[in-house]
Amino acid sequence: MATNTDRSGTMYDLSSVLDVDALESVRPGTSILISGPAMTGKQGLVYDILADGVAAGEGTVILSTGDRAGTIVEEFDEHVATDSFPLAVIDCAGDATASDPEDSDVFVYHASSPGDLTGIGIGITEALETLHDRGVQRGRLSLSSLSTMLTYTDRKTVFKLCHVLSSRLDAADYLGLFTIDASAHDEQTLQVIKQAFDGMIEIREREGVREARVRGLTSEPSEWLEL
Amino acid sequence: MSDSDPPVVLIVEDEPDVAETYNLWLQDEYEVRMAGNGSEALDLLDDDVDVVLLDRMMPGLSGDEVLERIRKSDSDCRVAMVTAVEPDFDILEMGFDSYLTKPIRSQELHETVSNLLERSTYDDLLQQYYSLVEKQATLEATKNSAELAESDEYERLTERVEELKGELSGTLGGVENDEDFIATLRELSNGDEH
Repeated sequence: MATNTDRSGTMYDLSSVLDVDALESVRPGTSILISGPAMTGKQGLVYDILADGVAAGEGTVILSTGDRAGTIVEEFDEHVATDSFPLAVIDCAGDATASDPEDSDVFVYHASSPGDLTGIGIGITEALETLHDRGVQRGRLSLSSLSTMLTYTDRKTVFKLCHVLSSRLDAADYLGLFTIDASAHDEQTLQVIKQAFDGMIEIREREGVREARVRGLTSEPSEWLEL
Repeated sequence: MSDSDPPVVLIVEDEPDVAETYNLWLQDEYEVRMAGNGSEALDLLDDDVDVVLLDRMMPGLSGDEVLERIRKSDSDCRVAMVTAVEPDFDILEMGFDSYLTKPIRSQELHETVSNLLERSTYDDLLQQYYSLVEKQATLEATKNSAELAESDEYERLTERVEELKGELSGTLGGVENDEDFIATLRELSNGDEH
């Protein structure tokens, strides 16, 4: 029987990564768009949020449209303190076992390209299943980046993809993190894509200072906070 | 498919007894058409058909070939493959929307058909939702916030977007199970126009 205390315990608390009230109690199944210009640390923020989940004993699924599985595992390891944790990686660079991580604990799936949505769907399904079999009840999934997706397929397809993925994550009680390079698309595209998400973390850089704010998860956007 | 007419199910099965059994199970809820082989199936296929139950192993045109022709046609019907062997996700990559392993029970058949119909509803809703979000974004890009605040069109759109969002989250058609999820994504990459 879930009591009120238990219920709040099932929320995702991301405030240790980004100290914003709106991130203290994020409902399982929430999908967040992380938007900012190139080279402003979107991926770093994603890895920090995922690593925070690893520390809490959650599962991690990393879906990358550009990097190979081996590279992803190496980079992510730098953000995590533990040696062994439930991790699944989906890369979109086609079949290639040479670049696969040596760590056999990691579940790896290769989709044939960022436009191979069927492959991505199978990869996510098998990743969630594998983590579940390892006793993981919840976790965090990241997709980087939607900008690459948008070069492989049109806005309509990416919008629908985001919506379907969000629904799937909702059913699994996962947290979803999706990045987009705000400087690579017109305002209208960003407006449309944004609508497929529950909330958004915006990143900007002003006079060399990187700042973030959270929108959509609470009625008012948060203040800009230095990263 | 209009609201008053029952959905149309096309059964493609070369064994008459088996086909008749499916027909008996489905006829109270659906309009059923029966084809004894692949070419008959293609003759009976039109815009009214919502779901096709397609036996994979048939003399003449095989199930895979029939599927290929259905996908090349204008029909946006859902196709469930009926097979003797439990298949893998590969079958979804081939373009089937679902599969049933023989022998099929009545309840299983009903569930598959209604699940496929629900998936169509989900896809239609998602398409409508996208169109409205697109319109909303166009208005937002061309008008300033004062103009938007005064625009009845924008207000109506915003309301409708919220409504559809709610309807969509109430329809699990796209993600009710792994098979649904993968098939829904596959269809997106095919760029299906509805």
